[in-house]
Amino acid sequence: MSFYPFGGGSSGGGSSQQQAVNAQNVAMAENELEMITDTFYRIVDSCYKKCIPPKYIEGELNKGESVCIDRCVAKYFEVNTKVGEALQKRGQQAGVGGAVTGFGA
Amino acid sequence: MDFQMYNDAEKQQIQKIIEQKQMRDFLKFYTNLIERCFNDCINDFTSKALTSKEETCIGRCTDKFLKHNERVGQRFGELNQQLMQQQQQAQQSQPQQSSGRWF
Repeated sequence: MSFYPFGGGSSGGGSSQQQAVNAQNVAMAENELEMITDTFYRIVDSCYKKCIPPKYIEGELNKGESVCIDRCVAKYFEVNTKVGEALQKRGQQAGVGGAVTGFGA
Repeated sequence: MDFQMYNDAEKQQIQKIIEQKQMRDFLKFYTNLIERCFNDCINDFTSKALTSKEETCIGRCTDKFLKHNERVGQRFGELNQQLMQQQQQAQQSQPQQSSGRWF
C-alpha cells in the first residue's frame, strides 16, 4: 500500500548529512501523507458500507460488488474535488481565515 | 506530492516517517478487520466456542475485506495519478497564485 516511489536508500549517504533539513518541508510532507492515507481509509470504510452487504455467502467479490466499488471510489474523488472547490471559493469571498474559523467565531 | 522539491536529507526523513506510519497503519488495519468481522459474523452466544457457521463467515469476511481493500487501493492509485497529471497540466498552462491542490 505504498504510494511513494522512494527508493530503499538515499543516493550518497555521506552527502545527505551535509544537507540542511527544512523542518517545515518535512512537516508539510507529513501532513500531506496523513491526509492522503486518512482519505484512503475513509474511502475503504465508506465504500465497504455502501457496496458490500454483510451476508458473506462467499469470500470473493462478485461482479456487482466490484463495479460498485469502482464507481464508489470515483464518486468519492469527485465529491472531494467539488468540496475543495467550494471551500476555496468561500475562502476567497470571506477572506482566508473567515471561511474556516467562521463557524464558531 | 511533488518529490522534486525535497533534498536528499529531507527525503530520507520523509521515508522514515512513511515507514513508521505504514507500520502503525497496518496494525490499525489488522485490529479494524478483526472488529469488523466480529461485528458482522458473531451473534450466537449460547456457547464460548465458535460455531462452524461463524468460522466460515469469519473466513469469508476476511477474504472479502482484503479483496475490497486491494481493489479500492488500485482505483485510488489510478485516480490519484490522473488527478496529479491534470493538476500538473493546469499548472503548466497557466501560472496560478494559489495551488488549490487537493494533494
